[in-house]
Amino acid sequence: MSKKATKALELTGQYLGLIAFAIFTTFPFLWALSVALSEDPSNIWLFPRSFLPTDPGWAWFVRVFNEIQFMTYLKNSAWISLCTIIGTVLISVLAGYPLARLRFPGRGLIFVGIIATMMLPSEVAIIPNFVTLKHLGDWSTALLGFKLTGLNTYSGVYLPTVAGAFGIFLMKQAFEQIPQDLIDAARVDGAKELQILWRVMVPVSAPSIAALAIFTLVNAWNEFIWTGIVIQDKAMLPLSVGMFNDLTGPFAVSTSMVMAGIVLSVVPVLIFFALTQRYFISGLDGAVK
Amino acid sequence: MKNSSSYTAIAYLFLAPALILMGLFTFWPVGYNAYLAFNDYSIAEATATWNNFAHFKYLYGEELFHSALKNSLLFLLVVPVIQVSALLVAKLVNNKLPAMTFFRAAYYIPVITAISIAGVVWLNVYKYDGILTWFLQSLGLIDEQVNWLGEPKIAIYMVMIFTFWKGIGYYMVLYLAGLQSIPTEVEEAAILDGANAWQRFWKITVPMVKPTILLCTLLSTIAALKAFQEVVVLTRGQADTYTALYYVYAQAFTNFNFGRAAAAGLVVTFFCVLLAVLQFRFFGEKK
Repeated sequence: MSKKATKALELTGQYLGLIAFAIFTTFPFLWALSVALSEDPSNIWLFPRSFLPTDPGWAWFVRVFNEIQFMTYLKNSAWISLCTIIGTVLISVLAGYPLARLRFPGRGLIFVGIIATMMLPSEVAIIPNFVTLKHLGDWSTALLGFKLTGLNTYSGVYLPTVAGAFGIFLMKQAFEQIPQDLIDAARVDGAKELQILWRVMVPVSAPSIAALAIFTLVNAWNEFIWTGIVIQDKAMLPLSVGMFNDLTGPFAVSTSMVMAGIVLSVVPVLIFFALTQRYFISGLDGAVK
Repeated sequence: MKNSSSYTAIAYLFLAPALILMGLFTFWPVGYNAYLAFNDYSIAEATATWNNFAHFKYLYGEELFHSALKNSLLFLLVVPVIQVSALLVAKLVNNKLPAMTFFRAAYYIPVITAISIAGVVWLNVYKYDGILTWFLQSLGLIDEQVNWLGEPKIAIYMVMIFTFWKGIGYYMVLYLAGLQSIPTEVEEAAILDGANAWQRFWKITVPMVKPTILLCTLLSTIAALKAFQEVVVLTRGQADTYTALYYVYAQAFTNFNFGRAAAAGLVVTFFCVLLAVLQFRFFGEKK
């Protein structure tokens, strides 16, 4: 066999492998899309016919909007994610700066303590945090007359997650790469530490902050177990919990509608992913090393 | 110029929000969980009473907890499969051929989809007349329709396939980062020497991304031991699919036995920390 033929064969094999694997990772969504678009559901369990819509139309999507509080869930997801991102970025930036740039007693111990939490299964904290949150809610009602935080509040969803080892570590790494001259120059000009952090460190570390924000968004958007435990009010649920409850509960009887709901839930994620793709596929380089 | 003691005050002021929240929601739960594990907890009265290791004695003798632990260990089977596949896939998409961005995105979509939403689709894939049954029937491998999540012998493996599908893109990206640090000259030289793709993979790629392999193995081992969200979404523990953490979750929020759940959680924590320490040792020696 000539060299050219071997090369062509290798290339074909490579693409066949890639396509086969792409089918494996996407077939559930392709099927869901086709079922959701089929106004006539008679073929949805008939394979492979069901991968092409029968009687294509938007009817099932319209029904999802009419019968499920999709927009409410979407709004709640956006709000919870926004609060989580702001909290995580603020806390990680504030904590990362002294760990990277200031000398003070206890620095090594605090850093090791924070990193060590990565070993603990955070799921085990669900029960103690549930109890803590219940108490916080009772105390805030008794002291302030209203529920500042606690069960069935949004702050109860995001407060336990915003201070995490991953974010603090990421920001510490970013701040360590900034030249000391920049900080010294600012100090000579009489800048306070908070000003140095806000005017010098934060703008220079914008790519790392963006990466942290994006990863936090994906985690917050998809969070399912803890949110489902804290939020009891149906009108306060985000997409990941609300849609799951509806699609496996009252609407489970209609596969077409379930699939339309799935497609609608996945679309915002896909749009966001298309816009920020490079952060996922290459933005991790720094975090791994 | 400021002296160092004023830096100390500022440093702790900046660290305060992180330390307070982590103290309350990360460190306190470790201690409180250990405390609950030795007590009977009443949710209505919020009181705990010492019970002389009753939870641990119970767990020691209970079949369900044993099968949950066994399933969690069984879940470790995912680790080698997902690591080898992720490395192979990363190798395939790590080149300058057309459409690679598309393939990377296609493999990453399951990672960014909420596990609950993805789970609902897979419930339908695993239905007795769903895609999986059709696929295996058309390959001639099975004759009957199978309710994949209802058969005790196979349901846990179906959950593992879902975990594999959901997670492979994540490790692929980590391996991509590792692969991109290999100079292309090395591989080109091997091609000139007549090494085939198989030899190049085992003799060049694997040794050069060893640090990433170790990191990913550590991450996926811990993830496998902690698997339970997929159980919540797919089977709710039916058909012998309890995992250790699902047992914790079900005891706490279905049975409302916080003490017993905490005791089971303590056992899982012990295994996780033990495993992490072992693997860190392994890491240390390699460096």
